[in-house]
Amino acid sequence: MNICIVTWEYSPRIVGGIARHCEGLAKALVKMGHSIDVITLDFPGASQYEEVEGVKIHRTSIELGHPSFIAWVFIFNHFMEKKIAMLSKDVKFDVIHIHDWLVALAGIAAKHYLKIPLVLTLHSTEVGRALGLNNPDSYLIDGIEWWATYESKRVIVTSNSMKREVEEHFHLPQSKIDVIPNAIDTSKYHVEVDREAVKRRYGIAPDSRIVLFIGRLVPQKGVEYLIKATPKIVSNHPNAYIVIVGDGWLKEHLLSLALSIKHKISFLGFLSDSELIELILSSDVLVVPSIYEPFGIVALEGMAAGVPVVASNVGGLAEIIEHDRTGVLVYTGDANSIAWGVNRILSDSNYARWLVENAKRKVQEIYSWDAVASRTVEVYEKSYGEV
Amino acid sequence: MHRGRPMPISDEVYFLCMLHNIGMTAPEKSLTIEEMSRLTAIEPSKVEENLNKLLKAKYVDVKTIYGTKKYFITVDGIRKVLSMYS
Repeated sequence: MNICIVTWEYSPRIVGGIARHCEGLAKALVKMGHSIDVITLDFPGASQYEEVEGVKIHRTSIELGHPSFIAWVFIFNHFMEKKIAMLSKDVKFDVIHIHDWLVALAGIAAKHYLKIPLVLTLHSTEVGRALGLNNPDSYLIDGIEWWATYESKRVIVTSNSMKREVEEHFHLPQSKIDVIPNAIDTSKYHVEVDREAVKRRYGIAPDSRIVLFIGRLVPQKGVEYLIKATPKIVSNHPNAYIVIVGDGWLKEHLLSLALSIKHKISFLGFLSDSELIELILSSDVLVVPSIYEPFGIVALEGMAAGVPVVASNVGGLAEIIEHDRTGVLVYTGDANSIAWGVNRILSDSNYARWLVENAKRKVQEIYSWDAVASRTVEVYEKSYGEV
Repeated sequence: MHRGRPMPISDEVYFLCMLHNIGMTAPEKSLTIEEMSRLTAIEPSKVEENLNKLLKAKYVDVKTIYGTKKYFITVDGIRKVLSMYS
C-alpha cells in the first residue's frame, strides 16, 4: 500500500509521544513492504526532504504567520494540504493516516480531493488535555476532533480507556474504533552506561538514587504531586534525588513549588534521545504521576529499560501496568500514595528486580512495532474501498 | 492564552508563543523589535522587556546585521512552545 502519514511532529521535531509513535509505525510499515510518505512540519537543522530507513519524510515550511495559535494551525494545515496535493501527482496514495486534531483539516481536505479513505489516530482529546473545555479555543479544538472522527473511516485509539472516552464524548459508534497500543523499540536500551558518569554530568552525587520523571510540564502530567511527595521520599531514603526532564508552561510554578527541596531536585529541561536513554538506564525509579493519560508511552520506556515504574492508576497506565507484577500503581493526584510507591521500590531491591523482570517480558511480548504495524494495516484494509 | 489554563502563564512565555506563530523559528526568519511590535500589536518597550527575559532563558537568540539587532527563537524555545500546544 501507499500510505500517507500526516503528523505535526516527527523526529527531530519531538514534542510528546506522537513523534515517536509515527516514527516507530512508519519504519515498521516499511519493513512490511509498504511505501510510506510522512508529511510533517519543518524544524531547524532538519532537511526539507529525506529518506530514513525507507521512510520518505517531507517537511513543510510555513510561509505565513499570525500570533494566534488557532490561526497558525489553520495556516500550516493549508501548507500540508498543498504538499499532499503535489505529492499525489506522483504517488497514488491508498490511505491517509492523520495523527490528532492538529493535522485534521489537511487530512480531511486531502481525503475529499483524492477520494481515498482517511484514518485517524486520536492520541488524546482536548477535554482530557485541558482538563475540561474552558474557552473558545478549547471548544473549537474539541469541535475539530469531533469533525475528524466523523470524517474518518476508522478511528484508532491507544487504550481501552481512550476508546470509552471517545465513544462517550464524541458519540462515536463502537464499531468505528480500533484499539491499537503504542509500542517501543526495546533495542535502544541495550547499551552499557556508566551510571556515575551520567550522574556527574548533571551534578548528582554518585551514591544518589534517581527518581525520574519524563514529560511535558503541564497539569495533566501531575508533576506537582511528585514534587509534593519528595519530602516523604527523602525522609525514608536520604540519598533519593528527583530528576525532572521536560519543559512546559507550568515550569515556573513547579520551580517555586520545589524551592524548599531544591537541594533534592533538578529540572533538566529537554534532553536528546541518547542523553535520555543514558539517564533512564541510570535511574532507580521512573514515576508517571499523570492525572490524565490516554496511553503513557513513558511507562513503556521505563519497563523496557529495566527501571521499576510507579504510575497513577489512570487511563492507559492502568492497562499497561499490572499492579505488584509489572510496576506499582498509585492513587491519581495523591502525593502520599506516590511516596508510598517510590519508597516501596527503593526499600526492597528484590521486589524491584521482580517488577523489572516481569515488565521487560511484557513489553517484549505485547508492545512491539511489528505487532502494531500489522494491526494498523488491518485497519487500513478495513477502511480501503469505502470512502 | 489558549486552552483554559488553570493558572495564568507568564507574559514572556505568552509572547514567545506569538513569536513562534508568526514564524520567527530560524535565524533567516529573525525580526527586529519594531517588526515584532507591528506583527503582535504589542508596544516596543514591552516587546523588549519580554525579549530580555527570553534571551536570559535561552528561548530566543539575537544576531546583529549592519548594526540592527534581529531576534529569532532557539530550538529550546520552539520546544517550549510546542510542549504547550501538544
